[in-house]
Amino acid sequence: MASHRGEAKLIAGGQSLMPMLNFRLLDPALLVDISRLPDLAQITASGRGITVGAGVCHHALMRSPELAERLPIINHTMQYVAHMAIRNRGTIGGSLAHGDPAAELPLLAVLLDADIHITGPAGDRTARAEDFFLAPLTTDLSEDEILTAVTFPNLAAGSGWGFEEIARRTGDFALAGAGAVLTLHHGVIADVRLAMMGVDETPRRLPAIEAMLLGRAWDAGVRASAVRQVREQVNPMSDLQASADYRRHLAGVVAGRALDTAWAKGHMP
Amino acid sequence: MQDDARPKLIGSRVQRLEDPRLLTGAGGFVDDIQLAHTLHVALVRSDHAHARILTIDVSAVEALPGVLGVYTADDFSAKPLHATSRMKGYQSTGITALADGKVRYVGEAIAAVVAESRYIAEDAASLITVDYAPLPDLVDPRIAAASNVLLHEHHDSNILVSRKFARGDVAEAFANASVRVKDSFRFHRKTPLAIENRSYLADFNKGKQALTLYSSTQVPGVIRDALAEILAMPGHSVRVVAPDVGGGFGGKASLYPEEILVSLLSRRLGQPVKWTSDRLEDLLTTSQAFDETIDAELAVDKDGRLLGLKAEILGDVGAYSIYPWTAALEPMQVAGFLPGPYQLANYQAEVVAVATNKTPAGPYRGVGRPAAAFVLERLIDMAAKRLDLDPVEMRRRNLVQPHQFPYRTGSGIVWDQSGFTECLELACKGVDYPAFQAERNTARQAGRWFGVGVASYAELTGIGSRMSAAPGMPINTGTETATVEIDASGAVRATFGVASHGQGLETTLAQIVADELGVPVDGVQVIHGDSAAVTHSTGTYASRSAVLAGGAAHLSGQAVRAKVLEAAAFMLEADADDLDIEDGIISERGTNKTLSLAEVGRAVYSEMGRFPLDMRAELDLRATKFYDPEFGTTTSATHIAAVEIDPETFIVTVKRFLVAEDCGRLINPMIVDGQVHGGIVQGIGAALFEEVVHDQNGQALSASLVDYVAPSAAEVPKLEVLHLDTAARGTLGGYRGMGEGGTIGAPAAIANAITDALSHLNINISQLPATPERIYRLVTQAIEGDT
Amino acid sequence: MIRKRPITLTVNGSTYARDIEPRRLLTDFLREDLGLTGTHVGCEHGVCGACTVLLDGNSARACLCLAVQADGRDVTTVEGMGEIGALSLLQEKFRKHHALQCGFCTPGMLATAHEILNDAAPLTDAEIREALSGNLCRCTGYEHIVRAVSEALSERLGGAATGSAPNAG
Repeated sequence: MASHRGEAKLIAGGQSLMPMLNFRLLDPALLVDISRLPDLAQITASGRGITVGAGVCHHALMRSPELAERLPIINHTMQYVAHMAIRNRGTIGGSLAHGDPAAELPLLAVLLDADIHITGPAGDRTARAEDFFLAPLTTDLSEDEILTAVTFPNLAAGSGWGFEEIARRTGDFALAGAGAVLTLHHGVIADVRLAMMGVDETPRRLPAIEAMLLGRAWDAGVRASAVRQVREQVNPMSDLQASADYRRHLAGVVAGRALDTAWAKGHMP
Repeated sequence: MQDDARPKLIGSRVQRLEDPRLLTGAGGFVDDIQLAHTLHVALVRSDHAHARILTIDVSAVEALPGVLGVYTADDFSAKPLHATSRMKGYQSTGITALADGKVRYVGEAIAAVVAESRYIAEDAASLITVDYAPLPDLVDPRIAAASNVLLHEHHDSNILVSRKFARGDVAEAFANASVRVKDSFRFHRKTPLAIENRSYLADFNKGKQALTLYSSTQVPGVIRDALAEILAMPGHSVRVVAPDVGGGFGGKASLYPEEILVSLLSRRLGQPVKWTSDRLEDLLTTSQAFDETIDAELAVDKDGRLLGLKAEILGDVGAYSIYPWTAALEPMQVAGFLPGPYQLANYQAEVVAVATNKTPAGPYRGVGRPAAAFVLERLIDMAAKRLDLDPVEMRRRNLVQPHQFPYRTGSGIVWDQSGFTECLELACKGVDYPAFQAERNTARQAGRWFGVGVASYAELTGIGSRMSAAPGMPINTGTETATVEIDASGAVRATFGVASHGQGLETTLAQIVADELGVPVDGVQVIHGDSAAVTHSTGTYASRSAVLAGGAAHLSGQAVRAKVLEAAAFMLEADADDLDIEDGIISERGTNKTLSLAEVGRAVYSEMGRFPLDMRAELDLRATKFYDPEFGTTTSATHIAAVEIDPETFIVTVKRFLVAEDCGRLINPMIVDGQVHGGIVQGIGAALFEEVVHDQNGQALSASLVDYVAPSAAEVPKLEVLHLDTAARGTLGGYRGMGEGGTIGAPAAIANAITDALSHLNINISQLPATPERIYRLVTQAIEGDT
Repeated sequence: MIRKRPITLTVNGSTYARDIEPRRLLTDFLREDLGLTGTHVGCEHGVCGACTVLLDGNSARACLCLAVQADGRDVTTVEGMGEIGALSLLQEKFRKHHALQCGFCTPGMLATAHEILNDAAPLTDAEIREALSGNLCRCTGYEHIVRAVSEALSERLGGAATGSAPNAG
């Protein structure tokens, strides 16, 4: 990698990279296949959370019992990723490194405050997911570095969670998506995280809305206000499938629905 | 068919004879054919919509290992072929292998690299640079129509076709109307999107000076005749074979530049030359369709009877007038079918087809009729709403009634007897229309956006020689041929000029021949899609094959049966009238005398001496017959859809879809259902998802399957199909053509259902596809307009 | 000239060793180098699903896989699922229900359906539609495909399956 600086690409599942190669949008001099590195294929539970190797595919995330126990939002959300054959090949490392602003795993990493583990010539380092995504298809990863694993911290006991996305077709990239996680205390929101995808240059949290929700019950008035504020705070782009206005509208819809689900789950024993 | 021998196979759900090979990967599509020493072509395509080509720099390529040559238009002297028409004022365009000095749409081929592999050819193509002098991009047909900048310099204007019709007294009809409804309707551009991309392999035999083109075409006969002319070769030295073809839907029913190109290259290089499109090329260059703006107004009396219809149809036909159908094909079909299956005497229409800097338009499933049905069925619902009349009742009052056939429509089309009213009633019964409406009302009361839509239509199918498949087109498509023969082993072969590409004609035509001859269906080998197998052919398109090839199969099957019986009668010393054939065994009624078909075949060909000399000249068990239904058949249907719209996301879900249709007698109900299903889903695609989008510079934005959104299994509902199954009069076998209809009715039914679901907001759907984005805007405007 | 690399892999039970360019797609390798033309190419960007094969038993897009990435792996193409005269359960159901017309998308559709059967979980029609949503078919309108897969799945779950493909698991 170091000797082919700027001319090399890593490939794992290839589900994002290969279309770009087939369209001849990229023409790397060197492709390094990391899909067989056994260390990258592990899902490991620790006291702090769950560490997922970069080579773990979406399908394995969907079926992981470790995640189902501690972070079921990840299992659940994987069903929205493309289709079965893509989920069998596409990896978490590939998805995060690709950094598509409308992809599910970058959103989950940001929502769940994941640590992204990176190794390179200068040694190992860890980036916070929130700092990792810089722009569409652009991350903090430099050309001679490899994303090796992601650690998702445990959710607080009794957390409610929700994920919603809207796409033109089953499995298509989201026009807008939202993930929410919250805990309740005495019937009001004690802690909450809300993250959006597809409606900005990168997936991102909406801290002002999170702050507004603290100490409140998710009632119709709060909901309407949150939905309105989401629409004010996102910054979507127009493309062939949806205008910025419509995406802004959808951002409010998916945020509201994700929080509906999180609130309902938060009440479950 | 003998009176006493009732058909056994016709009407049965016979499993397809094509399936075993296709299910096991043993099919043979063009790109599957691997000939020794095949050379591969990659094309340099225009990234400008309209530009003059200044220079083409190939210097970086010629020395590349594995590259055999680079070709541009200058390297070929073949004259352009024109799609001609008898239509007055029509302006044709020429088709050439490569752009000659000028490009007229993004994706037009400029230079061809020939190399040892497709990888090398693509490497090389990416190194060729083209200098352009840009010309104004004429993307909007209204601007193109008025522009002094011409796509084709020899033309007077960019208007390729301009026609007016009038019938009856339209002014009086409108003056007397109780209700007039009008709108400007827009049907956005589609691409047929066969899953197999176009693929061509030309194999020139130097010794025989003969060319074989393996082509993923629906029309091998048309391509053969065109290539013979372009290559200046006799027809017998040009053979076009359409092997297994991975869907067409009209997109493979025209002559393409790449077919000419690989043929010219193979002849020049003396080696097989292959080009296979990738999906990007397909989305840029395969003929597109359904691109019309239709301003229409309907006049109705107080009882809801249709009095008159006016329409202005503007068709965006893209950069070239496609061969052989011409640019008139779709816009003229819109005008022709706009009066629909209704009693509507007073009609006027103006059609303008304009060349623009976009992919050429061509036939696509339904051809013009999806847009025509959309417009008329919307107008009928708009009028019904004004009169507070149920949409079904409105149609019931206006459909051509059974006693009125043959009925000449306002456009001059003559409907032969068909179950117009019967299909409407069957569809209503099928969904239990009153219960269906009640369900809708209950859902509405619960605040759901739920709607029901109905659409009725009729189409001309199985068109005979008295009509032309495309208006003014000089090619006769009204006859079809079949040769049935039995060889010395007793095996049956039936050879046709049609070219099945998913329709299952190897099965349905075998069913007919097998019934005529009294043999098992899997004992009949059907040959199709090979121009050399028949004297003349065109192919499979325009819902013609069951009627025309089916008719020819009956005739030639009957003729061969007579020959078999004559030979067998001599061999058995019996009267031919006393003989039956069943399961390949000929038996004399009332005796135990039998003969197998193999015994007759062996006798006829190998033991000819058993027959008297005067029998021998006509003894071969072979007959070729042509069938011409003269006018053709009328196929009709009613579609009913229920949709629900998410009031927050504006995503439309089709909850139920039912078709009641009359395609005459069914040869194979399973295959007919499959054809209807496929048509419906393309109609759902047209109604909700699919749209070819160009920007103001003529760049295609929908150039991948991510961006051109075709429905998957998850986007469509369970599909219900009901058949009248009554024999059509006037055609052999009683079949009516079918295959396109699903795509004709579905967009209209869904547009009506969406409008119904949005009725509380007074929104009319006048553009398709009704994407969530469009519905979002309509709803936003309606709400803002209210406040 | 791009340096070739040796690969060894199993396709439909047979082992193949070849030297190939690293950029060669698995689709081209299967179709052109091994002559297994049953795997079709519809889009080369992973959307249409026509090229779907089974890679180590799981469905995968052969157009998004370099042949070198299949080194050491086990590939099943449509040619390995059954043959004329000995169709697999799914192939039989596809034929019975007329779940194919032109047949171009069919090999990929079968590969996906194979994984559905292998997962052996009861599915509603809606779930079957969702599981098939990565395979576009332009001919059938999907109705008959859903019926075929549904019937095959219930027979598999009911233990009534016979004649299933060698790699059906």
